[in-house]
Amino acid sequence: MTHAAETTCTGIPSPKLGMWLFLASEVMFFTGLLGAYIVLRAGLPTWPHPGEELKIPLAALNTFILLSSSMTMALSVAAVHHADRAKAQLFLMLTIGLGTAFLGVKGYEYSLKFAHGHFPGTGIFWDCYFTLTGLHGLHVLAGIIANFWVLSLTFRPDFLKQRGHLVEISGLYWHFVDVVWIFLFPLVYLI
Amino acid sequence: MEAQAQPTYGKYLIIWIWLITLLAAGTFISTLPISKTEAVLLILGISLIKTALVALFYMHLKFERSVPLWAVVVFPFFLVGSAVLLVFSSRLFS
Repeated sequence: MTHAAETTCTGIPSPKLGMWLFLASEVMFFTGLLGAYIVLRAGLPTWPHPGEELKIPLAALNTFILLSSSMTMALSVAAVHHADRAKAQLFLMLTIGLGTAFLGVKGYEYSLKFAHGHFPGTGIFWDCYFTLTGLHGLHVLAGIIANFWVLSLTFRPDFLKQRGHLVEISGLYWHFVDVVWIFLFPLVYLI
Repeated sequence: MEAQAQPTYGKYLIIWIWLITLLAAGTFISTLPISKTEAVLLILGISLIKTALVALFYMHLKFERSVPLWAVVVFPFFLVGSAVLLVFSSRLFS
């Protein structure tokens, strides 16, 4: 892969090190949220059974979409490594499309809850559900915006030489968002 | 950046098939008539395997040889483990 990312004294390119440090802080952020969720849930005598309040097939579909978007993101990074700009753009667009589909399904799920009178503030279960999935959804939105920005850069003539590494950096963030959902899905919907 | 061995397109597809299979397995386990503890252990175990696949192959940690970067990756999990231990210490050591 050819690009102009500067390398730090650690031997790691600055943008890559910066992204990993950011992801480390994000791990702590989501751990705090999930920890609060587990403690709240364990402290309550009753909690809805899996599938009772939330639709598991819809969430499983969303998990399928997000896992697939991780693959297309990885394929885009691979295309950059092979200096194949067209494929890198195609897989980036697919990743953006799948991310948007994820948010679309999530929006549909929210609309179903709203129609039944379930909002944030209508009980601890719904507070936890909207907080966890809402904050994750915002992270997905941020990832889509980042991927859009990187996609816009791929049309520059010097992209592969000067900015190819940005696909990998954006990809690290996208995969992290996927990993968070890998834990949110079972904790909120299945268990 | 030094040249690193990277997975091929086919390898990424195989990882995706594993991820989807594990997703189906976790969802299926949630429907089985087993105890809550068994379900939690099995389903979260599957989540850990999925996370490892994404981190090692899609995030390229399998091919990462930089000790400082591994330190950045591992340190938060050390803190998470410590936090979990502190939160549940009253149950574990009572």
